[in-house]
Formats: sequence, C-alpha cells, structure tokens
Amino acid sequence: MDLFANLAHGFAVAFSPINLLMCLIGALVGTLVGVLPGIGTIATVAMLLPITFGLPPVGALIMLAGIYYGAQYGGSTTSILVNIPGEATSVVTALDGFQMAKQGRAGPALAIAAIGSFFAGCVATVLIAVLGAPLTKLALAFGPAEYFSLMVLGLIFAVVLAKGSVLKAVAMIVLGLLLSMVGSDIETGASRMAFNIPELADGLGFATVAMGVFGFAEIIRNLDAGAEMDRDLVQQKITGLMPTRKDLKDSTPAILRGTVLGSILGILPGGGAVIASFAAYTLEKKLAKNPSRFGRGAIEGVAAPESANNAAAQTSFIPLLTLGIPPNAVMALMVGAMTIHGIVPGPQVMQKQPDLVWGMIASMWIGNLMLIVINLPLVGIWVRLLRVPYRLMFPSIVIFCAIGIYSVNNAPVDVILAGVFGLVGYWLIKHEFEPAPLLLGMVLGPLMEENLRRALLISRGDWSVFVSRPLSAALLAIAAGLLVLAVLPTLRRKRDQVFVESES
Amino acid sequence: MAETTSHLPDGSVTAPSSRSATGAIIILLLAFAPQIVELLISLAGLIVPLSGRHPLQVLSGHGSALIVALPSLFQQYAAGGKASLSSDLLLALIYTYPLVAVALFTLLVRPRAPQDYYGGVVLMAIALFALWASSDLQGMHGFSFGAGTAPRMFGVLLLGLGAAIAVIGVITDGAQLATYHWRGPLFVSLAILVFAVSIRPLGLVVSGLASFLIAALGTHETRWGETLIVGICLTVGCALLFPYVLGLPMPLFPRFLVP
Repeated sequence: MDLFANLAHGFAVAFSPINLLMCLIGALVGTLVGVLPGIGTIATVAMLLPITFGLPPVGALIMLAGIYYGAQYGGSTTSILVNIPGEATSVVTALDGFQMAKQGRAGPALAIAAIGSFFAGCVATVLIAVLGAPLTKLALAFGPAEYFSLMVLGLIFAVVLAKGSVLKAVAMIVLGLLLSMVGSDIETGASRMAFNIPELADGLGFATVAMGVFGFAEIIRNLDAGAEMDRDLVQQKITGLMPTRKDLKDSTPAILRGTVLGSILGILPGGGAVIASFAAYTLEKKLAKNPSRFGRGAIEGVAAPESANNAAAQTSFIPLLTLGIPPNAVMALMVGAMTIHGIVPGPQVMQKQPDLVWGMIASMWIGNLMLIVINLPLVGIWVRLLRVPYRLMFPSIVIFCAIGIYSVNNAPVDVILAGVFGLVGYWLIKHEFEPAPLLLGMVLGPLMEENLRRALLISRGDWSVFVSRPLSAALLAIAAGLLVLAVLPTLRRKRDQVFVESES
Repeated sequence: MAETTSHLPDGSVTAPSSRSATGAIIILLLAFAPQIVELLISLAGLIVPLSGRHPLQVLSGHGSALIVALPSLFQQYAAGGKASLSSDLLLALIYTYPLVAVALFTLLVRPRAPQDYYGGVVLMAIALFALWASSDLQGMHGFSFGAGTAPRMFGVLLLGLGAAIAVIGVITDGAQLATYHWRGPLFVSLAILVFAVSIRPLGLVVSGLASFLIAALGTHETRWGETLIVGICLTVGCALLFPYVLGLPMPLFPRFLVP
C-alpha cells in the first residue's frame, strides 16, 4: 500500500527529535500568542513567520503548522474563558462555551473542545493522506486555463462565504490583485508601479502587508475602545477537566457531524475554518430536539464548531499541497513561507519533496496530540496570561511585529510599509471592508496573471479557451452560479441571518 | 498607492458627520494628494539629499500640467495622437480631474450611506492612481500580454467596483461614518516609524525601547513605572531571541559604540 508507506515515511520524518521539538515549540508558541485577546490566527501566523526563517524547510513548515493549530486552540480557550473570541473561527464557540464556563463547567468545555479538535484532526490527517495522491494526478490534467478558472472559483468562494456586502468583498479581492502587480513583471522584467523605490522592485512583501493589515490595524482598532477592554474573566478556579459521561454522549454525534462538515468545507477553495464553524453550529441548532438550549451552555454548541474548524483548518492544506493554490489567508501565508524557503507549492512538491509533504502531514497529527496532552494541563497558565493588561501588551506586540518584519529582509522600508498598511487596514475596518479577501487576492494575483497570459498565448489570443475546455468551463460555471446565488436576495437574507444569529 | 490611502484616516478625523461639504474638501485633498506628496518629498530633498526634482520644478511642472491638461489632450487628438503626453499631464488627466469631478458631485448629493460612499470613492482613487502609475507600461502587442495589461485590467475593474459601491452608498440607506480616534493610530504609527528609522544606526536595544515607550503613549491609561520595566524586559528578551536563538542577524547597539 502506497498510502501506508507514505504515512510511515512521514511519521519517520516527523518523529525525528528535532522535528518533534519544532512541532512542540510551534504548538506552544502558537497557543501562547493565540490566547492573547485580539490577535487572530492570521495575525499570529504572520507575526511568528520570521522566527521560522532560520530553520531548515521541513522544520520550518512543521513549526508553522504547529503555530497554526496552536493559535486556533488558543482562540477557543479565550472565547470559552473570557468571551473574547481571539479570531473569527471561535466566535461561535464563545456563545455556548462562555455560558458553560459561567456555570462552572469551563473544564468540560475546554476538554470537549480539545477532544473534538483532536478527533477531527485525526480524520483530516487520514483524509489528506488519502486524497493527496489522486488530486495530484488530477492536477496534471490542469492546463493554464483550468488553473485560472480554478483560482476564479476560489476567489468567488471567498466572496460568497465572507460576511457583509458581496460587492465590497469583490472589490477587496481586486484591490489585492492590483497590489500584487507592484514590482517587476515576471515575463518582461519591467518595473511596475514601483516609483523607482528599490525596495518595491521585488513587489510588496506578503508578510509585510499581512502584518500591517492584520497585526497593526487590529492593535490600533483595539485602542479605540480604550485599553481597558471589557473582560468578564471567569474568576473561579477551573476544577474537574473531565467531562461527564452524559457530556461525552451528547457531544459524540456533534463531533462526528462537525468533522464531516468541516472536512468538506476545508477542501473547497475560499472556505476554510471560519465558515465551517458557523455552518456546524447552525446545523447542530437545526438538528437539536430542543434548540433553545443553544446559547445557554449546550455542550454540542462547543463540540461541533470546534471539531469543524479544526477539520477545515487541516483539510485546507489539500488544495495547497496538491494544486499549489492557497484556499484561505493562512494558507496564503504558508505559501509565503514556502517561497522564502525556495519551495514552489504545487503538484510537483509531492513527488520531489516527499519528506516535506508527508512529514508535515504526519506532524499535523502529532501536533494535535500535543495540543491535547500539553495544553489541557496548561490551561491555568493561559488564564493567567489573559490577566496581562492590554496597556502593557499592545506596545509589546507592536515592537515584536516591527522587529519581525525588519528581520525578514533587513529592510527598514518594509517596517514603514507595514505601518502604512496598518493605517490602511484601520481605514478598511472603519468602512467595513474585509481584509482577508484582499490578502487572498494578493497571493493569487501573480499566479492568476501568469496562467491567464499563458492560456491566452497558447490559444493565440482566443478568450473562448476558458469556456471551450470542459474542465475550465465547469469551474467557471460553478463560480458564476455561486455568485448569482450570493447576490440573490433570498439567499442573502439567509446568509446574513446566520451571521447575525451567531453573533448576537 | 498606499500613500494616497493613508491620507484619509488622518483627514477623516475632522469629518464626524455626513456633511457633504467636508467630504468634498477631503476628496479634493485626495485629488491633489500625489502632487502635494511629491512637493513635500522634494522639499525634504533640500535638507537631505534625495533623488528627485527640485521643488520649483515640481511646482511648475504640476501647476502647468493641471492648467493645460485638457487643451493639450485636444491638441494631441488634433495631431493624430502622435505626441506623447508627459507624466505630469497624465496624472492630471487620469487622476486629478476625475477626482475633482467626484468632489464636485459630492457637494450636490447627500449620500445616504456615507460609509459606503466614501469607501467607494477612495477605491476609485486607488484605481485611478494605479491606472496612472501603469500608464507608462507596454500594453497588448498582438495576442500576448504586455507588462501593463494586467494592472490596467484590474485597475479598470476596481474603478468600476468602487464606483458601484459609491453609487449604492448614494441611493440606499446604510451606515454612517465610524468615528476615528487620533491617539492610537498616531502613536502606534510614530513608534513604527521611529523603529524603522533608528534600527540601522542605533541598533535594536535603543530603538526597540524607544519605540516601545512611544507606542505606550497610544493610550492614556499607561502607567510609566510598569511600562518602563516591561519595555526593558521585552527589549532584552528580543535582543537575545532574534539574533542568538533564531540566528537572524541585526544590529544590537548604536553604531558609534561598536568598534
């Protein structure tokens, strides 16, 4: 069996002491930063990106993957204990999780979140291993036209699933595409929109923009509300981590459903963890015999979204590893990290660097195990961290980010650019533009342009190539259908309802 | 592109309500922002040597361009489109004129969703600016893309989307402008700027601590005693973490102290 041989190879790589250590450090540091309120997964990964630069590629990516899960787990911890969802994926967890914590059941809530995440992680790991190889074969059937259409589909997905105005989300994507054009043209080498600034000749750094728009902008916005953020910290000591038998019985089906839903939504480009947790919560509420329990501490309301977001977080590696297309902003950062290490993500990575791919897949499982083994006993420490006042935390984050950006290229201009993008991000927040589609557009921009050019060159300037090739036509048709559905008033109302309901 | 957008957050501090006059003035400022920024840079060039034009050259170049832009466009048509327009002229034609028109339009209407309206207008400004910035690049030749094709394509797309958002902001009810605060953005940006400028000459220890303290000014709740202690600890921690643990080389101490 190829699959088992591959997985075994992966585990052999991942279990080497140095990689185990990377995984452990990544998970711990990720949780540490993820727990800090107001810093989401994307900001965490962007902030910690520089610390992986000095490592060998395999170790660096394993560590980044660890940071990603850690950050996500940290986000759910804060949303359960303090009702401050550190990030969008754990907004729904806060609804029932915090209520449970108020009733003195913070322990079981945290435990179920961890168990659900772990189970979902196991399933998703196997799924990646199973689907990886066949999808890579599919990728070989992809020409430039198909790649272009697939990316269009991915961007449309990101739009449809984002909350708020569809038009604004599309505009953000196009802005991202436009920003990605800054720098040298890949084919002619002409300098585009760089204004003779040497640091711009290489294009806007992806980490720079991400750190500005997600890191600095978020800090500035939090300061608006005053540094003393409203913190309903659960004061009593957390006792009894173990869930009761009834808890387990109630949450098992929810975990199963969440895992399935999350796995599917994660594979789809543009989806990712946020929508998975929303969808899982809504599904549980629909299926429940007594929906009124939700929002008052129903354990299913913690179990389902937590397993869904973890499953989605992992399966979103599938399009990245097989097609080289990042399905969401975090994966876009991963692409950035890979490129810095000289790895071009795509179908050829699976064949050329089996160590990297399978090692990373195996380390995902190990990372999940570490989260459950290490982080649950450490809950006390994370809670103490939450008591650090924001007035001390935010200057620290600013400096840490600034040093991190500087260390990427040793370029002071990068730091200034990140600051400018911080202000841009602040402005975007004030005008209710979502920054995540912008980031996705920025990463996909060069890929899209390259494939568009190539497709048109091959077809000798005939635009109909995108609809005459069946695979490409199908992808575009799905994209068009989705866009129409999203704009249709009835569905839109429903979509808004989901978000309103979940946030209230 | 980024420099033009960064103007609005500062500018909007003075525009708490949806009053069209204030909005129009801000858009007008935005319309002349590239010219003003270039003038400021060239003025700075008098003090520190920078590559660029002399302030008087900038002033006369843009001034004449703004005045003669339209006539010269007609002239060019009359000449059969042979003469190429200067960069200053193109800036006036592609960027400034349309935005001045938008500013005048703003005076006439009362947007019902100012948040969307001004958001859309700024996106239009970014798109126009990008169209100007990529106007010197080669376009399609035959059926193959030139360097400028894709930027122009996305620029036009963004222009359309921005206009659509602005139009929707005029005709449908929606959110008011959010209030901007100056303290947080100002000091956090200042801290970042100080760090960027001083890291090379002064090293991580000095510039890190300095910008930590500046960032701490971002809220009035700062207590200086504890802030100083945390700042020193953090700076020392970073000075150990980045160069030694992570192996990322960077200057630690001021240049004049290091032999």
